[in-house]
Amino acid sequence: MSSRREFLTVTLAATGAAALTPRWAGAQPKSMTVVHESSFIKPFDEFFVKVLSPEYEKQTKIKVNYETVSVGSMLTRLTTIAETKSGPEITGTGLNWPHLFDPSLVDVSDVADEIGKKLGPWHDNIYDAVVVNKKWKALPWGNIGQLEVYRTDWFKQAGVNKFPDNWEDLLAAGRLLKKAGHPFGFELGHGFGDNHGWLYPLLWSYGGREVDKDGKTVLIDSSETAAAVDFCRKFYKETMFEDVLGWTDVNNNKAFFGEQISCTNNASSILEVGIRDFPDIAKVTDHALNPQGPKGRFHVFNAQSHAILTHASDQAAAKNFLRWLYDDKQLSRWLTSANAYYAPFLQKYDNHPMWNAEPRYIPYKECLKTSRLHGWPGPPGHQASESVAKYVVVDMFAKACRGDATKDVIATAATQLKQIYKAK
Amino acid sequence: MVGGRDFMGRVTRLYIPLLVFIVLGLFPFYWMLITSIKPNRELYSQKIMPLVVHQPTLKHYIDLLYETNFLTWTYNTLLVALVTTTISVVLGTMMAYPLARMRFPGAAVVAFGVAATYLVPQPLLFIPMSDIINRMELGNTLTAVMLTYPTLLIPFSAWLLMGYFKSVPRELEEAARIDGATRFQAMTRIVLPLCTPGLLSAGIFSFTLAQNEFLYALIFLAKSEVRTVPIGVVTELIRGDVFYWGQLMAGALLGSIPVAIIYSFFVDYYVAGLTAGSVKT
Amino acid sequence: MAVGPATIARPAPVAGRATTSRRLLEREGLFSWLMLAPGVLFLLAFVAYPFFYGIFLSLQDRRVATQGIFVGLANFQTLAQDPVFWQVTRNTFIYVVATTVFKLAGGLGMALVMNQTFRGRNIVRASLLLPFIVPTALSTGAWMWILDPTFSVVNWLMVHGGLISSGFSWLGNATLAMWSMIVVNTWRGMPFYGITLLAGLQTISPDLYEAAAIDGATTTQRFLYVTLPVIKPVLIIVTMFSVIFTFGDFQLIYALTHGGPANATHVFSTLAFDIGMSAGQLGMGAAVALAMLPALALLIIALTIYLRRD
Repeated sequence: MSSRREFLTVTLAATGAAALTPRWAGAQPKSMTVVHESSFIKPFDEFFVKVLSPEYEKQTKIKVNYETVSVGSMLTRLTTIAETKSGPEITGTGLNWPHLFDPSLVDVSDVADEIGKKLGPWHDNIYDAVVVNKKWKALPWGNIGQLEVYRTDWFKQAGVNKFPDNWEDLLAAGRLLKKAGHPFGFELGHGFGDNHGWLYPLLWSYGGREVDKDGKTVLIDSSETAAAVDFCRKFYKETMFEDVLGWTDVNNNKAFFGEQISCTNNASSILEVGIRDFPDIAKVTDHALNPQGPKGRFHVFNAQSHAILTHASDQAAAKNFLRWLYDDKQLSRWLTSANAYYAPFLQKYDNHPMWNAEPRYIPYKECLKTSRLHGWPGPPGHQASESVAKYVVVDMFAKACRGDATKDVIATAATQLKQIYKAK
Repeated sequence: MVGGRDFMGRVTRLYIPLLVFIVLGLFPFYWMLITSIKPNRELYSQKIMPLVVHQPTLKHYIDLLYETNFLTWTYNTLLVALVTTTISVVLGTMMAYPLARMRFPGAAVVAFGVAATYLVPQPLLFIPMSDIINRMELGNTLTAVMLTYPTLLIPFSAWLLMGYFKSVPRELEEAARIDGATRFQAMTRIVLPLCTPGLLSAGIFSFTLAQNEFLYALIFLAKSEVRTVPIGVVTELIRGDVFYWGQLMAGALLGSIPVAIIYSFFVDYYVAGLTAGSVKT
Repeated sequence: MAVGPATIARPAPVAGRATTSRRLLEREGLFSWLMLAPGVLFLLAFVAYPFFYGIFLSLQDRRVATQGIFVGLANFQTLAQDPVFWQVTRNTFIYVVATTVFKLAGGLGMALVMNQTFRGRNIVRASLLLPFIVPTALSTGAWMWILDPTFSVVNWLMVHGGLISSGFSWLGNATLAMWSMIVVNTWRGMPFYGITLLAGLQTISPDLYEAAAIDGATTTQRFLYVTLPVIKPVLIIVTMFSVIFTFGDFQLIYALTHGGPANATHVFSTLAFDIGMSAGQLGMGAAVALAMLPALALLIIALTIYLRRD
């Protein structure tokens, strides 16, 4: 027993000594770090590390490190970086983060204009996301769209040969499919993407709005919203099952591959994984645009962009790197490595060959025109983020689905929004 | 109290409850095990009996070990846990001893202060904490977590040890001091050995907490090579909304084994210490 | 004289300076403070400072990457009027109380069972600890499958055993979701109670039980009057720390439901995280985190009083 104790003591001492030796020597003469949310498509991240970064280093002798954080943690990481004013110089951003972090981001309007001239023009709905007070704070490179993903074979069996174009028709199809043992599964829980991906568009397509353009008046208490809420309740009861109320983003993927559901709202991750691991299911999977409602068709918008942080010691070098990255030679290859998972905002890429590789991704390109930021048409600032973080819209629909009265759930949402936007 | 007819009593008092505890406690691990060797086809199939594996595969383990930094994470986790446990038990002992056995000015304040530090919730601390860590240029180093974990571990170690220290009669210590021992010697040669179970308990608890910690590691350890197992597994085996379930479970199982082994060393010792220490005159 | 102390008797102290400095060190006050110093300094630097900074944050309207504006107690006022905050408070209390009761009862049961001798006891004891040792982030993954209505083996067994016709929605139904969290937390935490109580039980000499039995005490009375008083201090400490820990529990809930469905399992830590990190409202997030303290503080005060009484 004493030898065991000795062994442990010695090991402890040795490891303790090793651990307290000076830290990671990351300070090489010329280097930058880009931090990104880890891409769903592994080859995309690998392409940067294995191809792009070495190429840049060879050209300029500047090493560009690539740090990835898990999906859902990018905001946390960026918050820490912005707060402590240290860390990576270039960061990935999404949604409306350029607005949230505006004071910490460098003005990149010059680079944006150059890129726009060469590869653009830029699709005009990105301005909301990345232009703050007339200054570009981030450079978008792709949209992660959320679309309808469905089983073509089961829909055909139920007699639906083309994906329904409006919500009522989708409801009708859902009834048939649920009866056939293939219910729908749309997320209504506290995830990050697959819930917002259909609930905001649902609200908007019926004419519902959270607030007005100035963010001064709360508009959610309206007959349009009530119509959307009533539809949602019906949709849930007649096509889905109770568990979706607690789903987070991973559950619908699991359910789809477990052949439990026939339709959901998701990014293209389902098809990607299907092609790789579940080829039989992938063969009968396809995408479609969100159905339209009485007041239009909508999608949510998630523009992935790069921004430079103000604490960067060499902002010019960072800008040069981004200029190089967004040059057609690099950007084109990088986006292709992701199999068109990201839809670029540069109109010159509208007919890029990457779309030919997998025609089922083309709806992701088409949805760009009708995509909006969460909180639209209100101002895309921190209040919109707060509404999202507090799941105001999601919970409104979810509570209605579990049985609460329409006017109650709308009243709760209105109170929350009034407090968040400090509006009437 | 023991007799042949006590067998039924033994069954109800011992075997049945034991079985219940074992099944309920270990079932999720059984689940982890079979999930880690099920091929994806079986995993997602609703039709087959889920409690058994029909066509086991080691693919998930192979992918885990070859395609990820799992072994590095394991090393990091164990290193951090051992170092922080040591720091916490030592500092915890040094704090608990005077608080439990001595009278001195400010004792109540310190006791209250130590208790109060345990109340501070992590979500409150991590932003100012990351500020400190970054200013000390310790971002992305294991030293960062080695310095921050003891904040969670020391207060508990101190409190646990205080209970044990209090239980040792003063006479033992005083007798030693009459014989010429210093306070320090009285502590290290009389009281501490009698409280070995307490020390080990504090050690085990600290170790467990350290290798289980998530929030600080998530914030401070962003680079893959310095990550600990919980963070590494969760961030790198989950891409977007897709969980690599097989690898996740394989990682979970492998992540538990070193810990269980270390535990088995100490649990043994622990009981021996307990029964020896319980015989007091 | 007893055996122990005599064996470490030292020769008479050397006269001279050595005696003076030794006597100095022997003074109760100095010795105590020397021992306390490293730990106290450490905690001041890494807990007290960030804590006060956190309080400072909670009194500000402070959004990420922007300057903070002092607003006094405005954040707390807003929280007091937010129904979600009160739901979170209720949820946290239910979660903490239920899990503590179950863990206590279960742990005591486990300890009583394990206190008996049987073959393979060591292995059993080590394996029963596993739920507590394994990082929560990892075991949560297994629970996700166990609680999934379609893939849940629990549902599968019940359905195939003819008990129910279709699976329960463990994570989708608001009430069941909270129960699921309670079950997972209890599963994880019970071994800790069990092992610590077992250690306490094992300090009780069997002679005491025999003496009580001779005096005519029943099993229950032996438990109440011999066992309980001895393990009470350990029980209190363990419970107290478990309560504090559970109050701030984050990982488990975040991974399984992230506070859903519709805030049914939202607790203080997940709310603070969402507001502070996802919404970038650092001031408000700090305020939510601080809101945990009043209840916890009461608990600590009560227990400190109890323990200092000896």
